[in-house]
Amino acid sequence: MSLEMTMSQPLSRETRGFPDYELPRLVRLADNLHGAAFFLMKLLPARHMLDRAAADGRLKPGGTICETTSGTFGLALAMLAAVRGYKLILVSDPAIDEHLHKRLLELGVTLEIVEKPYEVGGFQTARLDRLRAALEANPGSFCPSQYGNADNPRAYAEVAEQIAERLGHVDCLVGTVGSGGSMSGIARFLRHLNPDLHVIGVDTPNSVVFGQPDGKRLLRGLGNSLVPPNVDHRQFDEIHWVGAAEAFLATRRLHQHHALYQGGTSGAAYLVADWWARTHPDRKVMTLFPDEGHRYVASIYNDDWLAALPGWTGLLPEAPQPVAHPSDVRSSWSSYRWDRRTLDEVLAAANPVARDLAEAA
Amino acid sequence: MPGDVISRFASVRLGTRGNQRKERGFGRVNGHHGEILQGIFPDDAGRLHRGLVTLPCDIVSSTAVFRPAPGILVTVPDDKLKAAEAARLTLDSLGLHDQGGHLTVESTIPVGLGMGSSTADVVAAIRAVADAHGATLGADEVARLAVRAETASDSIMHGDLAILFAQREGIVLEHLGPALPPLEVLSVNTAPGTGVDTVKQPPADYDDWEVQAFRPLRGMLRRAIRTGDAALLGRVATASARISQRHLPKPAFEEINAIAASAGALGIQVAHSGTVVGLLFDPRNPATTRRIAEAAARLEAFGLPPAFHFRTDAAEVRHVA
Ligand SMILES: Cc1ncc(COP(=O)(O)O)c(C=O)c1O
Repeated sequence: MSLEMTMSQPLSRETRGFPDYELPRLVRLADNLHGAAFFLMKLLPARHMLDRAAADGRLKPGGTICETTSGTFGLALAMLAAVRGYKLILVSDPAIDEHLHKRLLELGVTLEIVEKPYEVGGFQTARLDRLRAALEANPGSFCPSQYGNADNPRAYAEVAEQIAERLGHVDCLVGTVGSGGSMSGIARFLRHLNPDLHVIGVDTPNSVVFGQPDGKRLLRGLGNSLVPPNVDHRQFDEIHWVGAAEAFLATRRLHQHHALYQGGTSGAAYLVADWWARTHPDRKVMTLFPDEGHRYVASIYNDDWLAALPGWTGLLPEAPQPVAHPSDVRSSWSSYRWDRRTLDEVLAAANPVARDLAEAA
Repeated sequence: MPGDVISRFASVRLGTRGNQRKERGFGRVNGHHGEILQGIFPDDAGRLHRGLVTLPCDIVSSTAVFRPAPGILVTVPDDKLKAAEAARLTLDSLGLHDQGGHLTVESTIPVGLGMGSSTADVVAAIRAVADAHGATLGADEVARLAVRAETASDSIMHGDLAILFAQREGIVLEHLGPALPPLEVLSVNTAPGTGVDTVKQPPADYDDWEVQAFRPLRGMLRRAIRTGDAALLGRVATASARISQRHLPKPAFEEINAIAASAGALGIQVAHSGTVVGLLFDPRNPATTRRIAEAAARLEAFGLPPAFHFRTDAAEVRHVA
């Protein structure tokens, strides 16, 4: 849609939403460390994607939305669909949280649970197939596709606006990467005002987003089994991989030390941001806490559940282990100088350790 | 501004009664040096508007004198068509449809550089006509008349007030503060001898990312004005200039930017529909005089000798109604 068309559009009738829930509350954790604590970060990109689709006719009044998600994006879509009168079909798998499942049903969502993973491609591919079938069975329905929809990162201009207005200049941005929308979006907007902004992405071992091999992950919300087009790798100066146990412990520490009751990805972001802020005391750091802790009462906030985690030590490393290549990341907190390169550039660069070993042989 | 509605109606009454009519009315307004920010901005309801934040420049101005007379309206020089149109619209808005007169417009604002020459002539003419009839028009009313006369207007009728102004509607989208933080501006004309027809240009066709990117610029601008932070203002201006570069590119933009950075400027600012670029410095910084001399020398060596420099907080009366 052209700019002139966008500007002359009548305002969407579907304007109900949760504007005061979309933006984070800003909290100062240390002199140079600020956190953006969201109620449910995904409300912002979900609302923006629906607004844009409604404005250009991809989503009709009372129309149907289909998406595959078992996380916070589904909840955000469900809240918006409920107040805006859309039908919502969500494709998920048996790993979906029981309470979230009930909540989605109460909001009127049609939940399609894929029972069995494919032999090749696992649940991810099975869910995508089921999503395709749902879209075909509901002609004219809209799929937000948060991994590829450019309105996802663009939605975060409002967070960048809030940060710029409240804090002015920031030196460093730290946040977790799942779809890539929040970090790629905010980083690019803030960097337009500050080309020197230092951007740190937080991923988890066994996520392919920044070049680890795919594998089982306990920490959810960040990381991915595929590389979402919305991850703009060239925005990142530094990547950290935080393991599940470390992220959960840091989540508890965020609550114990700063009284912020947030989810596990918030803990992962806090661990990295706190370290960077301590080691760069004269630089102003902003970090993102994407959701609240209530969904994790029985897990992250339950000592018995934590103690039963494989390899649980109850200890939090003071600093990350620097690695020479993403493939060197093991199960615990690691860091890597990404230097604003593409994924291909990073992967094409030979692993210096492997190279040295080969040369020594 | 609620007062404007009252003054508008009051002026209509005064004008039609005619007993306040003077032999001559005067109008004057300062030019500007392009914009700190120009783009697309949502209003409170979420509707998008084209808007801008002007960088005032009080070392150039337009002046108009209006002598009311029955019959036709004569304008000198006769190529000031927009000013003539604005004078006619002002007479009509005062209910003086049959009245004409003699309008003279003089300006020290260079034409085609994006320094507000057209709007300044228009605003000076409106003020002169109003003054001749004992009417004081509020800035909002002047803005409405100016937009009717020339389609898109700069916000100079608002003086030094820091406002986000919808240039095609003549309305204030946001009151940002009493003034911008003070700046010292080194002015470079990037295309001497050519000039841009600032009025005929099509409005910029910003892409979806740019439309969103104006939000954080606006956020940082609010903070810059609230806290008097010239450095933040420089960041906003540079970011807006970068977006403008995709739509009305300035020759040697990167080179000027590099010279600005190497001389310790806060940033650069452009006329989004013109050819001037300003290197921005903090007048409160004692190093500024030396830095401006350095930047000027480098620009000169590059072949773009700066034309002048000015302070936005010079102790001069800028509001002349
Ligand atoms: C709890 C939580 N944290 C972090 C993220 C990562 O955000 P993004 O998708 O913008 O990369 C998500 C994404 O779903 C999430 O649900």
